[in-house]
Amino acid sequence: VEIVEGSTDQVTILQARGRVDSTTAPRLGERLQAALGPGGRVVLDLRDVEYMSSAGFRVLLLAGKQADTAGGRLVLAGVVGKVHQLFDLGGFLDLFVVASSRDEAVTLARGDAAR
Amino acid sequence: VTALEVTIANRLDELPRVVALVDELARSCRLAAPVVADLQVALDEVLANLIRHAYHDDRVHQIRVRLTADARRVQVEVEDDGQPFDPRTAPAPDRGSSLAARRPGGVGLHFVRALMSDVQYTSAGSRNRLVLTRNLTDQREAAPRGDR
Repeated sequence: VEIVEGSTDQVTILQARGRVDSTTAPRLGERLQAALGPGGRVVLDLRDVEYMSSAGFRVLLLAGKQADTAGGRLVLAGVVGKVHQLFDLGGFLDLFVVASSRDEAVTLARGDAAR
Repeated sequence: VTALEVTIANRLDELPRVVALVDELARSCRLAAPVVADLQVALDEVLANLIRHAYHDDRVHQIRVRLTADARRVQVEVEDDGQPFDPRTAPAPDRGSSLAARRPGGVGLHFVRALMSDVQYTSAGSRNRLVLTRNLTDQREAAPRGDR
């Protein structure tokens, strides 16, 4: 997996690309953990991810819990195609805030901070 | 029929060799991206699970992975000498609906069962053999006829 990091309106955007599996998931986990420091607002865009094995979902669950306990926010975007199928099969769609576009994701991640 | 094989040691850092083997099969058989994704996910789940849980000594063990494909299906065979474990009998994953309560265990083998068309497992002596089949269900997924 390749991860390109950007930011807009106090929101960190992580654009993941490629494959998330046992080998690459730790890299994604480290980036999420770093971006989700206290109060961290993060959009993870999965549009260009080919697939994600359970190792990837494990780091997403940890990141989601970290956001909840540290007053941050994690919003997912680009949950489409094969990745959407895997979210659905694993029962993960209801566990995360999943936006239908990158713009919506940024708005959701920004939340009250922008008002 | 196209057949490819690799033998890896029971270490997670060997897994990229299996990823590369699936990619090689995908190239030579022109497998569609969703098929490749299903095979990669299933193998990642099966092998990571095996390497993490099936060995209880410090010796190096060998795991043989063999891929075969024809126009109608891809078959994945995994042979190992670890502690026998039939993935078909793994409990269904926890589907708790809150993030705080949700534990990730069990999802991997659920993916294997859901993504593959068939899962067979046999254990005899000290050898275990898992055979996964992914049918190529339509024109877009199937390898071109006569392709090697």
